[in-house]
Amino acid sequence: MRIADLKLHRPSNLAKAVSLAQQCAADGFDWLGGGTDLLCNYKWGLNVQPHLLSLKHIAELQDGGPGSLAAGRTLHAITQDAELAKQFPALVETAKMVASPLIRRTATLGGNLLLDTRCWHFNQTENWREAHGSCLKAEADTCRVVPKPGDICVAAYSGDMAPMLLVLGASIEWVGDNGSRIVPMCEVYREDGIRRFRDKAVTEILTRVILPSASRDWQSAYQKLRLRETIDFPEGGVAVSLRIENNLIAEARVATTAYAPVPLLHESIAEQLVGAPADANDPSWPHRFETLSDAIRKEVRPMKNTSMSPTYRKRMAGVLLKRAIVAALAQ
Amino acid sequence: MSPRTSTVGSRLPLVDAAEKVSGRGQFIEDFHFQGMVHARCVRSIHPFAEILSVDFSEAEKVPGFVCSLAPGEPGTARKFGVLPISQDETALPAPYALYSGAVIAAVVCEDEVSARKAASLVKVEYKVLKPVLRPKAALEKTDTPLHEVTVGGTNIHKVVEQEFGEVDSAFSDAEVIKKAEFVFHGVNHGFTEPIGCVAVPEPNGRLSLYSATQVPHYLHMALAKVLEEPMHRIRVYKPLVGGGFGGKSDPFPHEMVASLLARKCGRPVRLMFDRDEVFLNNHGRHPTEFKLSVAVSKEGTLSAIDADAEIDGGAWGSFGVVTTYYNGVLTQGPYRMEAFRYAGRRLYTNKPASGAMRGHGAVNARFALETLIDEAALELGLDPFDFRMQNALPSNTTTLNQFRITSNGFTECLEKARRASDWDSKHGKLPTGKGIGLGCGFFISGSALPIHRTRTPMSTVHLKIDMDGGVTIHSMAADIGQGSDTVLAQCVAEAIGIDMGRCRVLARDTDTAPIDLGSYSSRVTFMAGNAALRAGEAIFRKLQRACGRMTGLPAAGFRKGEGETYIHDDDATVRIDFMAALDEALAFNGALIAKGVYHAPKLGGTFKGAGAGLSPSYSYQAFVAQVDVDTETGFVRVENVWAAHDCGKALNLTAVEGQLEGSVHMGIGQALTEEMKYSGGQLINGSFLDYKIPSPLETPEMDIIVVESNDPEGPLGAKECGEGSLAPIIPAIANAIYDAVGVRIHEVPMTPERVLAALDRKAKAEAEAAAQEAN
Repeated sequence: MRIADLKLHRPSNLAKAVSLAQQCAADGFDWLGGGTDLLCNYKWGLNVQPHLLSLKHIAELQDGGPGSLAAGRTLHAITQDAELAKQFPALVETAKMVASPLIRRTATLGGNLLLDTRCWHFNQTENWREAHGSCLKAEADTCRVVPKPGDICVAAYSGDMAPMLLVLGASIEWVGDNGSRIVPMCEVYREDGIRRFRDKAVTEILTRVILPSASRDWQSAYQKLRLRETIDFPEGGVAVSLRIENNLIAEARVATTAYAPVPLLHESIAEQLVGAPADANDPSWPHRFETLSDAIRKEVRPMKNTSMSPTYRKRMAGVLLKRAIVAALAQ
Repeated sequence: MSPRTSTVGSRLPLVDAAEKVSGRGQFIEDFHFQGMVHARCVRSIHPFAEILSVDFSEAEKVPGFVCSLAPGEPGTARKFGVLPISQDETALPAPYALYSGAVIAAVVCEDEVSARKAASLVKVEYKVLKPVLRPKAALEKTDTPLHEVTVGGTNIHKVVEQEFGEVDSAFSDAEVIKKAEFVFHGVNHGFTEPIGCVAVPEPNGRLSLYSATQVPHYLHMALAKVLEEPMHRIRVYKPLVGGGFGGKSDPFPHEMVASLLARKCGRPVRLMFDRDEVFLNNHGRHPTEFKLSVAVSKEGTLSAIDADAEIDGGAWGSFGVVTTYYNGVLTQGPYRMEAFRYAGRRLYTNKPASGAMRGHGAVNARFALETLIDEAALELGLDPFDFRMQNALPSNTTTLNQFRITSNGFTECLEKARRASDWDSKHGKLPTGKGIGLGCGFFISGSALPIHRTRTPMSTVHLKIDMDGGVTIHSMAADIGQGSDTVLAQCVAEAIGIDMGRCRVLARDTDTAPIDLGSYSSRVTFMAGNAALRAGEAIFRKLQRACGRMTGLPAAGFRKGEGETYIHDDDATVRIDFMAALDEALAFNGALIAKGVYHAPKLGGTFKGAGAGLSPSYSYQAFVAQVDVDTETGFVRVENVWAAHDCGKALNLTAVEGQLEGSVHMGIGQALTEEMKYSGGQLINGSFLDYKIPSPLETPEMDIIVVESNDPEGPLGAKECGEGSLAPIIPAIANAIYDAVGVRIHEVPMTPERVLAALDRKAKAEAEAAAQEAN
């Protein structure tokens, strides 16, 4: 299938890209990373913009410098990065869980972080949307999931890398008209499936992810719920990062994905982990797991807009959390 | 002496493998013609609506617009269908759109992008009608039935009732009765290559249709009917086909639409479907509610089964009448029984049509039967293998419904699967969460009756050999990736006594190939293979006569020697090379031509529906699955499969194993993850992201066990291996889940949510029982 009426631009550096973005902003444009998600949406006529600004040829997006990951790196490259695997093994493991090997060859880190939100009422063909009724996020002014959502869209954020970067305490860099700025991951997203970012100018580009060196000492893990072990987006995902001191959990971070329009940090869950023994076989853990599972199930609010039922996804949040903790402690 | 190695039973690449793996093979997507234009369908946005008008005025303004087709135009309302008894499809609504996504009009433009744009600008005026979405609603009387011919003013398409033996007394005498209601959700074939066609008006006024089809002959007939042209004015060309599984075995509306458009604009019209359109075209396995009761004696003899099937046919008839029968009659093996009752109803609903899909009609019923047999055996304290051994249908017998049973490797399948899987040290003995289960099967090896009543053979193969020494095989048997072209080449080479490399199969074009009914009902190896063998034998007899003339020895005494030679019984010194014999034969006759045909023998009883399920032979299976069930999530991982299948004789081991592995993979999809989901009348997961075909990571280790019963009528002993092999894996997994965690799942696919719900019910029941005991 060919996509109609599209102009592809291939800027060779960041300055040109930003300048092109300014020129195209009035007509509308999208940044094109690997395109593994965006172009599928375009083929279904989802929010197609007249201009596509390819990020592929921008050298600055290929090398993030020390302590950083360039946004233009493919997920495949991340899975193959032995040095990164030594420093942040869970990050590399998470990258291996995104989509399929073929998709990871093309898909970029930046693209995964800025992945568009997903919903069964949105990710459909034009004819389907006409037949079933379109939604807020596409051509209509009605949400098909929640009867009265206001103008907030409840489509699910479904990236895998974001929850892991959240628990690693990472930040990102935006570059735009006014130079660059660093924003912590936890301040990037806005809880709205349509207006997905806080304070981001349309002309800004995600250039790199900054990984705090202190997080190297943390033990982290990510668990993903999906029907198939490859290809599928998460139906739920939980990332956990723990700092162990004197055989106890001294600090903790917990994040979820696919349960809301944003990846979310769960501070109250993390707090409950502090002080717990670092040995997962400690007799206190079964009770702790029960309490933690109940707690996270209360915090996540899956909608009826993906393949699995919200009840099941909610229940699985507890299982994912438990397994992520066990995996993190086992490191 | 030139080399010849018999290929029968060996491992060899398919004859079209090189052109496929090199990317040079031509699939429908690869056909382009001078002046070709591109069509795009306009699809209904309502599940049931009368089409009042179609307005192309905005579409016509799109640059490059060529023409359009709307309801009411000539040919669009002419009825067709794969079965003569269900001619209920039309190219375009006449005047009713019967499901959301049904083709209701089409536009043609100079390029594909313009055609898409033009199609989106077509305005359709609908009169929306109340759709029939739930199968149960189809049972009710209605003023607006979906089709002219239905049962008693309802939307029931077909009713089947059959009874053999004393069912009620068998049940009253039974020691154990197991009964359950099963729910099967619809599944789609999920073939790799989307549907598509190119209709080409020829300069002489004929029409050629290039189409990704399994049934060129039925398509040919349907086109003649819709276009109101004699068949000789139409040519059907079947390119390489990227999988079918029954999903390309009907003549379809889009093929009629492209042909009508080509005739209208006088230019080649290309019409390709996107994946969502393939799902909307569907014709996949019927969503089914199946009630089954099984009666078993104290000694563990299966005495009777009583079955009731309600199958959701969707918008059109398709193969549905056959499916309705198959849900019942294909339970008549591989076990003996004294009595059998079956009631089946196929219902029209406003959803994409159901049709034939790999294991046609046998799969869901098989799941129910194998599950209840497992329950009954365990209740009686019998091992599931022992139970099946004890009840196995013997060779050379007749079933209650008059199926003629000849070769039968069922007990050998059981013995080999039991041994290979180390069943006896595993069943009931694995740790909780791990389990092993058995499922068996039985399937036709070609339908003994043609779909259209005809006296012409079901398969015909023509051969031509000229002085180059190559053998051209003409056939219209449709290779859809399963390897039927290779079977033809093997049979011909074997019959003539030559190297298979001499054979070239031309099985694409109805202008040059003799009629073959096509690829469905697992008929091609058996029927076209036999026709090829007979054609090859006819050539061999010509060569025998040539050898006789060369030597003065009696022609009939020549037989195939080593290499490509012919030797004689009476004189061991005589050895004639194939090329020498051919040279002699050509000298008198010119190019050698020969023909082989296959007619199925007359089989079966005289009662109503006696023809359903009749086959010249049947395949048998015993599959074992070992699973791991995650009791916290409900996920089922199939770890190992041991699949024993009686295919008569493996002509090509690689191809047989490929068919079995593919069947197991496809069956795992239906068992665990695949399901067509609807929201109202709208298919909600018509993409390969949301329709969950198992990935390689969900595909287990498989031990394929080929059992050879050497069928007396099969070509070189062969019978089917591509369809019967799907059904057994699904109940094998279900029975393994029971062995692992003690729950029976009666809804398929057995998704994590359904397994977890069953575990919850079990835990609740156990807690209640414990509480009662405590009281």
